[in-house]
Amino acid sequence: MKKLFASVYKEGLLLLRDIEGVLVMFIMPLILLIVIALLQHKSFQNITEEKIQVIVVDFDRDELSRSLSEGMTNSHMFEITSVSGNDSTLLEQARKDVAGGTYQIGIFIPPNTTSVVKSRAVSLVQQQINSAIKTDLNNLNAQGQIDLFFDPITKESFRDLVKSTLMQFSASVEKRIIFEAYSKFIDALTNQSSELDYPTTPAIQFNESLVSEYTSGIVPNSVQHNVPAWILFGMFLICIPIAGNIIKERSEGSLARLKAIPVTYLQIMSGKLIVFVGICLIQALLMILVGIFIMPFLNLPKLQVGGNIVALFSISLASALAATGYGILIGSAATTQIQASAFGSVSTVIIAAIGGAWVPVMIMPAIMQKISAFSPMNWGIHGYYEVFLRNADTLEILPDLGKLIMFAVICVGASLLFRKYAKNV
Amino acid sequence: MDEKIAVNIRHLTKIYKGSTEPAVDDLNLQIYKGEFYGLLGPNGAGKTTTISIISSLIKPTKGEVFIDGYDLMKDLPAIKRIIGVVPQEIALYEKLTAFENLYYFGRLYGINKSDLHRRIDFLLERLGLVKYKFTKLINCSGGIKRRINLIAGMIHLPKILILDEPVVGIDVQSRNLIKEFLKELNKDNTTIIYTSHIMEDAEKLCSRLSILDYGKLVEQGAPNELINKNSDCSSLEDVFLKLTGQSLRD
Repeated sequence: MKKLFASVYKEGLLLLRDIEGVLVMFIMPLILLIVIALLQHKSFQNITEEKIQVIVVDFDRDELSRSLSEGMTNSHMFEITSVSGNDSTLLEQARKDVAGGTYQIGIFIPPNTTSVVKSRAVSLVQQQINSAIKTDLNNLNAQGQIDLFFDPITKESFRDLVKSTLMQFSASVEKRIIFEAYSKFIDALTNQSSELDYPTTPAIQFNESLVSEYTSGIVPNSVQHNVPAWILFGMFLICIPIAGNIIKERSEGSLARLKAIPVTYLQIMSGKLIVFVGICLIQALLMILVGIFIMPFLNLPKLQVGGNIVALFSISLASALAATGYGILIGSAATTQIQASAFGSVSTVIIAAIGGAWVPVMIMPAIMQKISAFSPMNWGIHGYYEVFLRNADTLEILPDLGKLIMFAVICVGASLLFRKYAKNV
Repeated sequence: MDEKIAVNIRHLTKIYKGSTEPAVDDLNLQIYKGEFYGLLGPNGAGKTTTISIISSLIKPTKGEVFIDGYDLMKDLPAIKRIIGVVPQEIALYEKLTAFENLYYFGRLYGINKSDLHRRIDFLLERLGLVKYKFTKLINCSGGIKRRINLIAGMIHLPKILILDEPVVGIDVQSRNLIKEFLKELNKDNTTIIYTSHIMEDAEKLCSRLSILDYGKLVEQGAPNELINKNSDCSSLEDVFLKLTGQSLRD
């Protein structure tokens, strides 16, 4: 044990003597996290919460226009800007705004649209209840018209979606008006006043969820994605200083001296492992703190860490072990600093890309999603997602923890084999 | 097994991967306890390979090595406790101080803290390094680093000390101090195995030595014996040149 402590003491001192290097290890991933989170914020909003910008030019100023606006607002799909009046310049300006991309949709509700719907409803009810009553056929066949104008870059499928949504809203308004017309007519016939209101909720509700093996239906925002992604990336990037540390020891002869001392390679490497795992954990903590306290200042969502601190520590520790083990393997296998830094950096980028650090796995093509399952960064990011987004406990993230720890064991085991059989170690 | 033998090398052969020529070729040597034994030879003669095998840094292709009766292939942990190795390179951490380097290596040998502090102070004093105790190695001269390198190899007071060119590239004063220290150590019954290109040093220091060339043992004996045996030679350097030739080596 004292040999292990001696190794930890030495590695700690060496790190402290290179304070600039340590700061770079902490600061660069933090900068990366903030820059990428800012860059990806818009894209994640498109996936999750960005609303369609709509301008409503309301010349009707009656029940239909009000109900349409309310319904659209309540759907959480649309961000409504309403202008009302009867000045044709308002319509012109709205058209320009849509053409310029300020709004994706413009809706023009002409004057008396509600009146047309109401007249038609009354005529319909009258004819239905008492065919003897002479109904104005003009009213019965009357049709209001709502003009829609779209930003030219919108896709046809998007326009169809919006049209069908609007038709649904207008149909529900029309149904209510018809219901009210019936109510009034029946009240007049029975000489009673029914106080029945048209129900505001539909008879059938649709329960919707995303079915994905990856996130159990949860789509993270840019902060929820980028904090774990760059924690993992930062941790794995530590393979470069670890490998450099091992190669320097070898090239300067200290490792040869250590070989002549009654201490095992595992004891020497364990000293490095403990110190660098500590560095990785501090790095992860800093990233999480940035996510919680700095991101909101940049108009980004605040990081939600979930409530399970033990699970959060477990996934951080397992990820740190995997990353440090990987660094030890590279340091043991590479023969020069250039080899180690080139391989270390490029392989980290590849593992990150495959693992979903830049592009979340859920929006990768199917084949890449399958390949992604082999990246240790994917296991780590997935574990963090589960803790952050689903409030998962340690038991629930056990598969991710197991894979990461197994990866660390394989890496350290392979480096011991290199030590045994390779001439350069 | 003769209890007087510190190192017994039998039919030792080493062929490196990718090479057809042996670096050490069927070498047989006996080094006795308490000897100051020199391994001499031109570049590529097999000196460093031989001491690297004895130091357990590399494995032999063939042959046997016994150190203080322990088989190198079977009793490595026991052997590592009784040998000390001073490599030719300054195998230390430049960003650590002299004390931190020595403390680290001492702890790896399992020396307890209070003994280690005392021993470090004694050895630093003995080699004139007290004022550099808390100086980072990066700020020390070559001579100081080489003296600390020597202490690091013997901090556990080994029975057998193996040194590869311990005085290379340093000034006369440092060289003299190291030689005096090694002599004293040898008087205290530490067996010393030493490689050098400096014939004058070997002649003065070594009680016995061997001359290697092309991986083979060419001659062995006390320096005076070797000079007397070759009547046309007046110094060890003459003997060395006579036995290994004048041609330049790689």
